[in-house]
Amino acid sequence: MQQTVPTHKKGFSLSRFMIYVSLWIGALISLFPFYWMFVIGTNTADKVNETPPALLPGSEMVRNFMKVMEQVDFFSALANTFITASVTTIGVLFLCSLAGFAFAKLNFPGKNIWFGLLLVTMMVPTQLGLIPSYMIITELGWLNDLKALIVPGLVNAFGVFWMRQYISDAIPDDVFDSAKIDGCSHFRIYWNIVVPTILPAFSTLGIITFMFMWNDFLWPVTVLTDNSIQTLQVAIRSLNDVRFTDYGMVLSGTFWATVPLVIVFLLFNKWFISGLTQGSIK
Amino acid sequence: MKKKRWLVLFFILILPVTMIACSNSKAPSNADSGSSDGKIELTFWTFGTTGYEKLIPEYEKQHPNIKIKMQNGEFNDHHNKLFTAISAGSGAPDLAMIEVGFIEKYRDAQDRFYNLYDFGAGDLKSKYLEWKWSIGESADRKFLFGLPTDIGPTVMYYRTDIFEKAGLPVDPKEVAEKIKTWDDYTAAAKQVKEKTGKPMTDNVELIYNARRDQAPEAYFDRQDQLIIEKSPYAKKAYDYTVQLIKEGVVGDLNLWTPEWNGSMKTGGYATLLAPSWMNANIKGNAPNAKDKWAIAPMPEGAGNWGGSYIAIPKESKHAKEAYEFAKWLVSPENQLKSFKDAGLFPSAPELYSNPEFNDYKDEYFYNDHITPVFAEAAKKVKVVYTGKNFQLVQGEIIRALQNVQKKKADPESEWKAAIDRIKTQLARQ
Amino acid sequence: MYREGAEQGLSPGLKRKWWTERKKEIFSGYLYISPFFILFAIFGLFPMLFSFYLAFQKWNGLGTFKYAGLSNLRFVLEDPLFWKSIYNTILFGILGTLPQIIVAIPLAILLNAAWLKLKGFFRMAIFMPYVTSVAAVAIVFSVIFSEQSSGIMNVVLSYIGLEPVSWKTTEWGVKVAISTMVFWRWVGYNTIIFLAGLQRIPPDLYEAATIDGARPIQQLWHITLPLLKPVIVFVTFLSTIGAWQLFVEPLIFYHRISGVREEAMTVVLYLWKEAFVNSAYGTASATAVLLFIIIAIFSILNLIFSKNIGRVN
Repeated sequence: MQQTVPTHKKGFSLSRFMIYVSLWIGALISLFPFYWMFVIGTNTADKVNETPPALLPGSEMVRNFMKVMEQVDFFSALANTFITASVTTIGVLFLCSLAGFAFAKLNFPGKNIWFGLLLVTMMVPTQLGLIPSYMIITELGWLNDLKALIVPGLVNAFGVFWMRQYISDAIPDDVFDSAKIDGCSHFRIYWNIVVPTILPAFSTLGIITFMFMWNDFLWPVTVLTDNSIQTLQVAIRSLNDVRFTDYGMVLSGTFWATVPLVIVFLLFNKWFISGLTQGSIK
Repeated sequence: MKKKRWLVLFFILILPVTMIACSNSKAPSNADSGSSDGKIELTFWTFGTTGYEKLIPEYEKQHPNIKIKMQNGEFNDHHNKLFTAISAGSGAPDLAMIEVGFIEKYRDAQDRFYNLYDFGAGDLKSKYLEWKWSIGESADRKFLFGLPTDIGPTVMYYRTDIFEKAGLPVDPKEVAEKIKTWDDYTAAAKQVKEKTGKPMTDNVELIYNARRDQAPEAYFDRQDQLIIEKSPYAKKAYDYTVQLIKEGVVGDLNLWTPEWNGSMKTGGYATLLAPSWMNANIKGNAPNAKDKWAIAPMPEGAGNWGGSYIAIPKESKHAKEAYEFAKWLVSPENQLKSFKDAGLFPSAPELYSNPEFNDYKDEYFYNDHITPVFAEAAKKVKVVYTGKNFQLVQGEIIRALQNVQKKKADPESEWKAAIDRIKTQLARQ
Repeated sequence: MYREGAEQGLSPGLKRKWWTERKKEIFSGYLYISPFFILFAIFGLFPMLFSFYLAFQKWNGLGTFKYAGLSNLRFVLEDPLFWKSIYNTILFGILGTLPQIIVAIPLAILLNAAWLKLKGFFRMAIFMPYVTSVAAVAIVFSVIFSEQSSGIMNVVLSYIGLEPVSWKTTEWGVKVAISTMVFWRWVGYNTIIFLAGLQRIPPDLYEAATIDGARPIQQLWHITLPLLKPVIVFVTFLSTIGAWQLFVEPLIFYHRISGVREEAMTVVLYLWKEAFVNSAYGTASATAVLLFIIIAIFSILNLIFSKNIGRVN
């Protein structure tokens, strides 16, 4: 369907074998720290510093997770994180693709200037913005409110730029023009023609946004000061003690906080395929 | 197919609204600290294990009109968010625990906190160690930022197995006799190196800190002028560390790295010059090394690392009530409770002669009665003014020492380079 | 222009003629891009201007602002450590970020190949470093690049008969260790982006090319790469910015900001340290302004360069 390399003769091929071998090596290297979180998360704390490092899961899985549960409200933090990440992702997918569509296909005066401004906002180092951003949130009265995480993240320059690049020649201009002549409104064109063709772009942007929101902690820890409203990362960080950090417990919490992301990834990954089939129907 | 997509759109538009609405109802309001039932609610930000959550219900029972909301966070997160809130001027709690290294940042910000002397804190002064109390004060000693909680007096943790192999005494009393001065320490270090091949200490930082902390002054005077060139002490500590580096008895395990943690278990070095609270770290990292670690006083005195204060940010609308609670929380009897509960070493010296305190036993260490050793150290700490730029200077000196150790750089020119870097950085503030 | 359109849009009862296709398009265009600019005006503009303003002030985060003129900029520009941080950042970019793009394109093509089995697994595996918590990554890399001769990397070196390296204190040891970490964390991220870009290429192009007898390498050169260009532009643009703003990897490699040595100091870490360790928000902001200028220059060069590539093709 999508072969870059046409399949030739069946049977054993040395080059493919080598490719599989290197892919497996790459996959193992990529997965190792994730696996290792599981290893330490199922072991006692002192295993974390062993040389050679511990490589096999231990027997402390349940006990470590119980310790996590004792100290933080894992499931309420999970719910908060899920709400934050999914609402933001939906917002980003919808608003960024709409803006990307406008920048790629619509003509309006000052378009290039606005687009240039958008690119400029990406170049600004944001590390010092913490205090002024916090001031805005307190002015709005959003301290200890998930809105403080969700609303500023609903649309971002990264996503708009990405969608613009993707839409630019994914939809040929003649398709766009003929739709206009047929009397389709711009939103109808966006909704009926653009959206189905750019599902793979949605998939990528969705994965990246969701994961970013899920793992972000610097901003959440600043604006969610109340223990009763935490995200997973904030909760898990509070497991680090000053004197001694029980890495068995911390990495157990971290591991279980990452597992949902694997599921989310697999869900989004489906869109790669569906993007193709839908695109070819059009 | 088409219908389905419109359904999705509907969903997209409705879902965020409902979810935000839902989340809204859950969010507790931090702003009004007086709750509806007439109770005064005090927010209290803490970090790490304190055991305070067990003391709070006691206080609430005694004071039915007070409700205390304790918010615990990770050490760095806690201090960062506190700084952000205080800097922005909103969102700070009624009470905040501030670690000694971070309290320096607020030295010049007297307008952001209540002066606890205004509440009569002067009467409490005699109950606490003088050096501890004085760090909570402004440079002119007229303003009190915080009431003292715990401290971290430094001692010499040592590996009994390595000392034994090196032919050094193992019993803490004999060790204290044998290693009385820093020259004794050097001699012992050479002996350890010769007999076991292991370094005497973990890294340049802790050995330097140990000597630095025994000096009567640090890097700045009370007018915040840099005195490091006039004052001989920092240079003496530096030279001593260089001497040990040249003898090859200093390890290269940087603080808080996995190797450093791991070597507590395997015994990568003979002594660890560290504060009282490090005992929890040793036990956690080396749970099976019972009796391998013992505790003796450091040669020639002691220093302090860590410990906190409780401060009341100016935003608090119930500063009087907050002060009363803080006073109660750090009282000697409650310090004893938080020591037994969470290992916070008390800053009230009357406890050091308290039998209940001295009878505390920790079977893990070679000498089970560890509290008297820490208490002796606590009494020996000197009153030193550190100043808000202490960390800046410290960082540059450690960098110089690392260069001497790792790059075989010339100690004198490294020292000069460090002083230059310190001066240019100070000029910027 | 925008306001006019908006008002008209809300009252559809007006004459049809006035509400032309052209005006509709202008209205839609502004409507669709407005969420970004509105949110930016609320949440992004003030912090940006605040930073810029601070670059000309002295401020410790708590006290009052004191006008400092250009002295902050001068301090930074005269500081050898700032120039060292620029040098380091460029080197990390060349060693850590550039190879990502070079590897990610073929990797994406491979992960898109029809014959490949376990696609979902490989895609996820390669993406996992982006998701794995930095706490775990910090420990794992610290163990791999341990200074001790028993460290994993040093053991590997000893097998090939090489001397152990001080990965945390020597100039090149630090560069290699941190670049490896950067590469490891981000190569999958870029691959996923390219993968989406490949989906954009209509399959019938390949079918036609195959019928015409074009070899795979010709297809790659004449179909895949040219059609991937907008995505390549996007990735290079972002990677350039990302490389200049690098700070997480060196920070976690040393576990704490005060432990970061000059061999690993990047521009953002430099400003981070100025602000949060030295409480010198003025010089920190001046650094941020300088960094912004550098990034802007590089991005513009980047865009000009990629436009020219387009012309050649």
